[in-house]
Amino acid sequence: MPEHEGLMRIFWPTDLPRSDLRGVVVGWRNSALDVVVVAILEEVEPRNVDSALKIGTLFRSAPFPVNRIYELCGQPSMHVLGVSNVSESVQVDSSWVRVTTGPGYKTPLVTCPRASSIQVVWFERPQPGRMQYISLNPIALALDDKHGDLRLEPQDGLEEEEEKQERLKKEKQQKLVEKVKLHSIVKRVPSAKEKALPKIVNQMNWAWELEQLLQKNVSRIGTRPKRSLSVSERVVESATTMRDIALFWIWEMVTLYLWPIVTRGFVLALMSHRIAAEMFLTVLEWRPRPRGAALKDISATAQQVEIRLQQFCYWPMQYVTLRQRKNDWESVTTSHPDYIRFYNSLWLVANDVIIGMALGSYIIDNANWVADQISLILTKFTVEALQRSISWLMGWPAGLKLNKELAVFLGDLFLWVIDYWSSCIATLRPALPQIILFIGFSSFAGASMPIALLSDLLSILTVHIYSFYLASARIYHWQLNILISLFHLFRGKKHNVLRNRIDSCDYDLDQLLVGTILFTLLFFLLPTVVVFYLNFAFARMIIISIKAVFDTLLSCLNHFPLFALMLRVKDPRRLPGGIRFELRDTQEHRPAIDSSLPERTISLIYLKPIPLSFRAMFHQYFQMASRIRKHYLSPRVLLCLLTGKFVPPINRKNLYSLQYSMLPARRAGIMEMWEAVNSLPPRKRRAAPVMIPALANGNGHLNGNGRRYGGYGRRGYG
Amino acid sequence: MLTTSPHLHIRRPSPTTAEFTVTTRPQMTFSLRLLLAVVFLVRFFLGSSVLLLLYFKWTQSPYATPLTIPPDNPPPLLSTTTLLLALDSLLASPAGHLLSDFSARMPVYALLPPCLVALYLCLHRIHTTESLLVLRGLGIQTSSTGGTFLAGTATRFIPTEKICDVLINEAFKDFEVRYYLIVVVDGEEDLVVVFPRLLPGRRIVEAVWRGVRGCLYEGERVTNGVKA
Repeated sequence: MPEHEGLMRIFWPTDLPRSDLRGVVVGWRNSALDVVVVAILEEVEPRNVDSALKIGTLFRSAPFPVNRIYELCGQPSMHVLGVSNVSESVQVDSSWVRVTTGPGYKTPLVTCPRASSIQVVWFERPQPGRMQYISLNPIALALDDKHGDLRLEPQDGLEEEEEKQERLKKEKQQKLVEKVKLHSIVKRVPSAKEKALPKIVNQMNWAWELEQLLQKNVSRIGTRPKRSLSVSERVVESATTMRDIALFWIWEMVTLYLWPIVTRGFVLALMSHRIAAEMFLTVLEWRPRPRGAALKDISATAQQVEIRLQQFCYWPMQYVTLRQRKNDWESVTTSHPDYIRFYNSLWLVANDVIIGMALGSYIIDNANWVADQISLILTKFTVEALQRSISWLMGWPAGLKLNKELAVFLGDLFLWVIDYWSSCIATLRPALPQIILFIGFSSFAGASMPIALLSDLLSILTVHIYSFYLASARIYHWQLNILISLFHLFRGKKHNVLRNRIDSCDYDLDQLLVGTILFTLLFFLLPTVVVFYLNFAFARMIIISIKAVFDTLLSCLNHFPLFALMLRVKDPRRLPGGIRFELRDTQEHRPAIDSSLPERTISLIYLKPIPLSFRAMFHQYFQMASRIRKHYLSPRVLLCLLTGKFVPPINRKNLYSLQYSMLPARRAGIMEMWEAVNSLPPRKRRAAPVMIPALANGNGHLNGNGRRYGGYGRRGYG
Repeated sequence: MLTTSPHLHIRRPSPTTAEFTVTTRPQMTFSLRLLLAVVFLVRFFLGSSVLLLLYFKWTQSPYATPLTIPPDNPPPLLSTTTLLLALDSLLASPAGHLLSDFSARMPVYALLPPCLVALYLCLHRIHTTESLLVLRGLGIQTSSTGGTFLAGTATRFIPTEKICDVLINEAFKDFEVRYYLIVVVDGEEDLVVVFPRLLPGRRIVEAVWRGVRGCLYEGERVTNGVKA
């Protein structure tokens, strides 16, 4: 045998029961020397186990199709892998392993005659009932939806620039990756053993459930003495049968008459709500122009309502997916992320409503006080502070000698508009308590509602600042542009629009004279315009940052990974983030007893799951934060501010990236939902208890489990 | 004295499995153990006194609610009330007086940054250990201890199937050329640097590279230094 075939790899569950009875090791054989141990069947003959595995006796009374096991574990059948606690004198197949184990051994001793070196990988079996599993890649908390990018398409030129830079960076990176690939001279073809890892991970996930099944059926192997039930056991058995019949009858009544009516009524109510939701969503998503802004792009409230409606549309679909999980083996792990997402969104909505109730009852109780405070803040900050700062600018602010006439003109203009606006607010003031009451009642739909409403209210009530900012920015921008072109004239040059460059130009004397005079005039007027512009730009930036705080609050309330965090604390194995290996020292495990055997090298490796890192949980948040940072803290924005160009507020669709990690980009239609809801399997009817073959063999359903380990010894088997 | 320059340990229970560990932890001698114990005690003392200082500052602030002691029945042993009572009795001791006087005199903005720095120093790991585990047929795993005791060991497992190549690269860092071991992973943009924090010298990196090449793949040429 060539040397390189001599490596044997055994995956062994650490939590297999250790007993010193002789047994047969059963599991998956991925290649000749690559095995995954599933169970040790005690006190049976290897020959019998082999035939039982072939004809499927060991999978009798499986709750779900057995083929599914083979399909997911990637092997056509299970095999006998070796024997445990059998004396050396017994001849076994050379590829079988010999295991010595027992309650006294910390770890079982594994030998294999055919292997020159052995890798024993211990792993702790994940409990499928508790939804634990092992995975090579971190669990994806975000919905992996390929269509998600469609709606994130750029809608205006500015975004395109950012996206373009990102795309260029990616392309450059891709080129580098291709170059690095050229460095590898030898292209290796991975061997079967190396490719088996994903399969093995699945087999490890199945190990627990399969062992339960095998141990349940082990009594069917070979012939065993039948023992009739004693009198007391018969009494117990008939009593339980009696109880089961009564329960069965009640259950039948409920499932036959009551249950269908209740479900049908519920489904109809759900569908009518779904139709109403569809109508609302159509209104919210309606765009007057093909690329124009829909209502949800403008208003935070509309977006919040849209998120809730979308969630409402998605929940039934998610629930149907999760119900289908019940019709399969527990070890199938594909729907676990769905489960986490579903309950996360449910929990967030419940939390939102709870917080909203507290907030709402407070607001309603103190509506007048809250309204007073808000009107006070409004007049203090959006009217009086502005008026004061404008009058300060109209004098000589900070010793700056501005142009008095221009400053007075601009100041009077703005003050006049503010006066008009404050009279508008004064007419609004009597209605403010009603508005506050409305916000208070809306918060029973969740705390996110009043926050979104406040955000919108803020935009509406500061619309004058927004217009001041626009007007002063426009004036400043014009003046700067005129100054630049006059400066070119001053130097005897001009901007050639056709070639987009600076050309020299012969101006006449009168042209030069008028231009220079105008340049001086405008240049001396510039500081006055700058201070007004800076004043309003500053106010605008403050409002934008307040709205950013509101948006952050909203995104926390809507998308915080609360359920995942709770799971991470409660049971980290439900959130796998990969695997890691630990090399253990073999000296302590090397026993003195097999000194007669040729020296074989064994390495002990522990396979442990890594829980998902907190960083990965908040990945979406980091992404959104970096988007916001890129938008507002970029040199481009600074340049816009300096030259008086309009700084666009961040597009709401950038905040959607979080939403699309939780919701599908395309919601399921009404008919799809109708079909899905009706496709739910009817409630499983319990098997009638009289069908249990109570006396067919001594090891029926009722007490099979309890006898599994203790029973054989008592019968003096083997 | 507490640390040495990075040196290599190889653990190889079988020719198909090897662990290369690069660490700054020196050989453990009695005097070194003693020194480490002293350092640990000093850091423990410093850390707890910094925490106490912050707690005292908190009790002096207007936000803290004064502790209400139940009149006669003592609280159960394992409860926050017992802990707070013990802290209060500490506050009454002479050392506690010293600390609370100090915290009363210092404003918050002057107190907080040095305290945070001190806490970081207390939690800072003295030794850095980074390792590379090579398992034939499975893959390789890099691991690296975190900078503080709060951060655990970060591990990264790369299945053999995904490994394009393992190679030594060179890069300029300050005014020297550093050789470092990298793993090229299929379908990933970034290269995985082995021993990223220590970046050991070329001798060590080369030894590890030979070891990895000899251990990872079946039937690969084995250079003579490795099989020994």
